Amino acid sequence: MIDAVKRTLLEELWDAGPNGITLLLNGLKVTLVVTLFAVFFGVILGTVIALMRMSKKRILNLAARGYTEIIRGTPVLVQLLIIYFVVFQSFDVNKTMAAIIAFGINSGAYVSEIIRAGIQAVSKGQMEAARSLGMPHSMAMKEIILPQAVKNILPALGNEFIVLLKETSIIGFIGGNDLMRAGNKIRSITYEATIPLMATAVIYLILTLTLSHMLSRAERRMKNSD
Amino acid sequence: MIKVVDLHKYFGKLEVLRGITEQVDQGEVISVIGPSGSGKSTFLRCINLLEEPTSGHIYIEGTDITDPQTDVNRLREKVGMVFQQFNLFPHKSVLENITLAPVKLGKMSISEAENKAAELLKRVGLLDKINEYPNRLSGGQKQRVAIARALAMNPDIMLFDEPTSALDPEMVGEVLDVIKQLASEGMTMVVVTHEMGFAREVSNRVLFIDEGIIVENRPPDELFGNPENERTRDFLSKVL
Repeated sequence: MIDAVKRTLLEELWDAGPNGITLLLNGLKVTLVVTLFAVFFGVILGTVIALMRMSKKRILNLAARGYTEIIRGTPVLVQLLIIYFVVFQSFDVNKTMAAIIAFGINSGAYVSEIIRAGIQAVSKGQMEAARSLGMPHSMAMKEIILPQAVKNILPALGNEFIVLLKETSIIGFIGGNDLMRAGNKIRSITYEATIPLMATAVIYLILTLTLSHMLSRAERRMKNSD
Repeated sequence: MIKVVDLHKYFGKLEVLRGITEQVDQGEVISVIGPSGSGKSTFLRCINLLEEPTSGHIYIEGTDITDPQTDVNRLREKVGMVFQQFNLFPHKSVLENITLAPVKLGKMSISEAENKAAELLKRVGLLDKINEYPNRLSGGQKQRVAIARALAMNPDIMLFDEPTSALDPEMVGEVLDVIKQLASEGMTMVVVTHEMGFAREVSNRVLFIDEGIIVENRPPDELFGNPENERTRDFLSKVL
């Protein structure tokens, strides 16, 4: 057992190569970068899609609906492969960049539904009360609806972050070196499966537990401010 | 002040208002009564265009508000509304609930609006709650704040949509007292209500609406004392 830990995590994996821990940490960096930027990209895209979805213009509404249906109706792995091997086939695009774009597009569809649900969960009476005082629609949205919607949206958005963090474990399919790929590499080099895969799982778990802990604390603080 | 001419409203295929013609003069207090689903709330909500009339005309101070050219927001500044569910803004303090619209719409400076809010809160007996948030208030207090919020825009007309229906019985009185006080000050008001005692005591006229039309339209003593229509008699015998 101790020998296996040494071989997979601590010693050089090949001559003058990195040890397992370094490989995992480098992979972790890629995982975090992709997740962070994809969520950022996804939130911007999701806001736009949500606004389109709620617009009275039929074309915008239809386009937004088509987008969400297609993205939510196909596996994210397929989307990632299409983005990298089809869309960026003739461009020399960095694998991390391709992954950010693919996961951002994917996340945008889910985030747009989160935002839409958050806005629609604010009672209809709030908009009516604001309008009855003479506020234009945009002012009522900004002053009354959105501040309340944010409280519905933020927790779900945190969840989306956690989901996305785990979903990025398929980056290896386009040859990206994320955390999962690092663990898998160690396994194939050392012919030792248990330690590297367990180590990978534990790192993911630490990340998600930390995030969800932070999330529930933020949520509690928001409830107190009610 | 308010003139409604042949107002029709459909929800899908359902005709909720089937031709309402009515006039409210300045300073009049009109109570609207009728069974639930009769269209009385819809009628009220058409007056400030929270519901868009399907056909017909509504004139407020001479302006046809069903004309697409009409500035709806300007109209609503003149027509205050109080809702059954209060609809206070939960993320704003009592003071902010009242000052938000006049300040953001450029009708008053912040200090003017705050003075006005304090004066209104004093009138409804809630000056001590000025910095509270709505979830710390009882139903009756919420509704009184909602009335103060509507009054802050200096409306010419006040609409009340079942203002006491969501209240515990012991809080009905405090809200009705505020509305009565407003009536005695000469505010033009249309009140949809289930409080027959209130309708009888305060209003100049009572409209009995059933199945989307005004069945009876008379001063309260006559309508309650000697209802002419069969349906009015039937309704009153159930609620009184």
